[in-house]
Amino acid sequence: MNKKTKRYNGGRDPDEKFEASMIGKIALFLGPFMLGIVIFTIYPFINAFLMSFKENFSILRNTFSGWGLANYRKVLNDPIFLSGLKTTIKYVVIVVPISLIISIVIAVLLNNTRRFKAILQTAYFMPLVTSTAAISLVFRFIFANEGGLINKIITTLGQTQINFLGTNRWSEFVLYIFGIWNILPFTIILLLAGLQNIDPQYYTAAKVDGAKTLDIFTNITVPLLSPTIALVAIVNSISAFKVFDYVFQLYNKPGPGYNLYTIIYYIYEKFGGTKPQYGYAAAASIVLFFIIAVFTLLQRVLQKKTNY
Amino acid sequence: MEVRIEDLVKRFDDVIAVNKVNATFESGKLIALLGPSGCGKSTMLNMLSGIMPVTEGKIYFDDRDVTMLSPDKREVGLVFQNYALYPHMSVLENICFPLKIKRVPKAERIEKAKEYARMVHIDDYLDRLPKELSGGQQQRVAIARALVKQPKLLLLDEPLSNLDAKLRVEMREEIRRIQRESGVTTVFVTHDQEEATSISDYIMLMKLGVKQQFAKTRNLYNDPANLFVADFIGNPTINQLHGIYEKGNFRPDAYENAIPIGRYQIEDGSRVVFASRPESVIVEKKNGKTVMEVEETYVSGKDTLCVLKAGDGRLRAYVDNDSAPQEKDLVSVSFRDRGVFVFNEESGERYYE
Repeated sequence: MNKKTKRYNGGRDPDEKFEASMIGKIALFLGPFMLGIVIFTIYPFINAFLMSFKENFSILRNTFSGWGLANYRKVLNDPIFLSGLKTTIKYVVIVVPISLIISIVIAVLLNNTRRFKAILQTAYFMPLVTSTAAISLVFRFIFANEGGLINKIITTLGQTQINFLGTNRWSEFVLYIFGIWNILPFTIILLLAGLQNIDPQYYTAAKVDGAKTLDIFTNITVPLLSPTIALVAIVNSISAFKVFDYVFQLYNKPGPGYNLYTIIYYIYEKFGGTKPQYGYAAAASIVLFFIIAVFTLLQRVLQKKTNY
Repeated sequence: MEVRIEDLVKRFDDVIAVNKVNATFESGKLIALLGPSGCGKSTMLNMLSGIMPVTEGKIYFDDRDVTMLSPDKREVGLVFQNYALYPHMSVLENICFPLKIKRVPKAERIEKAKEYARMVHIDDYLDRLPKELSGGQQQRVAIARALVKQPKLLLLDEPLSNLDAKLRVEMREEIRRIQRESGVTTVFVTHDQEEATSISDYIMLMKLGVKQQFAKTRNLYNDPANLFVADFIGNPTINQLHGIYEKGNFRPDAYENAIPIGRYQIEDGSRVVFASRPESVIVEKKNGKTVMEVEETYVSGKDTLCVLKAGDGRLRAYVDNDSAPQEKDLVSVSFRDRGVFVFNEESGERYYE
């Protein structure tokens, strides 16, 4: 840091105060970025926040009857929203822990392997560099009724084929697998980075003390990896709460029987469709925002706790 | 437990880190592996602990051949240079860890850990995390963790190098006390000759993977096997003058007069190094014998260190403050019998009288 300052200052005292012209330069460099943030993030957020309190809001005429909590009352009592919330929470509770456990195992194995490293890296990196739309097509093929890969195997084994994409129970199952599979690479990369930060001397020390592979995993690796695990769990939960695209890409609708209707789907439908209800959509967005905010706070607490 | 190593060799690709070392470490003693960096001392320690496989040779603990055994089966305790305390465990949990791995019941292992915590004087800090401890305290925890499983051999890798000067002196005395109290055979690695000579019973001095001398600490100073040993041990370093041996006299290259040094088993005309400890140089008023000029004087405590000009060479001598000469004085120089050695200039081998 200090070195950099010195180089830019051209030998002047690094403690010297920024000159006025510097502020102009800083504004010039940061300006476009700040402008983008204000236009595309801050302004819409504030607007949505305000919109959620406007009753009987019409976006075309920009009129509303007054401020109040009517939108929230409506949304929180809407059985469709509540079932969407339920579906979303179920998705988070299933996908995040399972993907995390699989990722930890894969990351630890990858971290310990010397052979096939290149092949394995390509393999786990695949979902990250391939478009999810393309992957969803592959998934549709794999789980298809007629000629689908899995159903072919099932029928070859003499079992009756399963309607994976057309029934509520199985479509949910396919979505979870799709979600887990998509989340793995990012999770593994973060965990691998975390693993590489662990001083190998701890493993040596534990080995001298007679610790076996499993002892080392539970007593050394997992606790020392816990800051990364906490981070990944929270980040994944946040993105899982916003699940929408996976459902849409797999089924073009909220599941075969409207069974995979998530919160974002609710917001999406309230904003668009033939009879948009912007107030409800904004209120639902803010509810989702607060759910995610709680998780973010949780992450801060956890990270402070696991800071060695 | 006695440790015996036979023709121990460690090779990394084309580099020989340890070359055919033989030694026997007596039971219950404190042994220092000493040498400049790259001499193979840490490699030796890692092979003793079992972390590093042996290329050739054997290691015996008493009569048991442990050469191929993994670290945990050797019953060794290892203290790492940077202690390697588990950062997520408290002091107590750190000390308990080796016992936890051995599935010792919880109450028993806590009791034992506390016992060793008391021994290393860290029992007031049991609930702290390693990051909340000073370097010296971390060191104590690391030693307690190594001792708690009652190893037959305690190994310390540069145990004092991460501590500041004052703490270093304190901790080296502590290591000696703890070693005496536990009675465990201890091997430690250091590059600091003062550290090694101040606390160890025996020192193995190494250079480029080869054992130079393995002897009682005192003997290393008083009876060095070769020029490297004589030069490495002792502060200030031993005086060295290069020249020719002739009929009981030493003719330095840099100085006109011959110095009588007595009969050695050396062919006349051989090139030798005449080495003398600063306290073995006798400085007297000018009396016609070997005369040198005093270049500089440094008072240190009760003695004065005089730097004498011997032609182009320099000799350092300790003189009592009361009889110390002034700078530019001309003095006569002679040598005591003790602390004076003659070495082969080329091989560094020592010649005996």
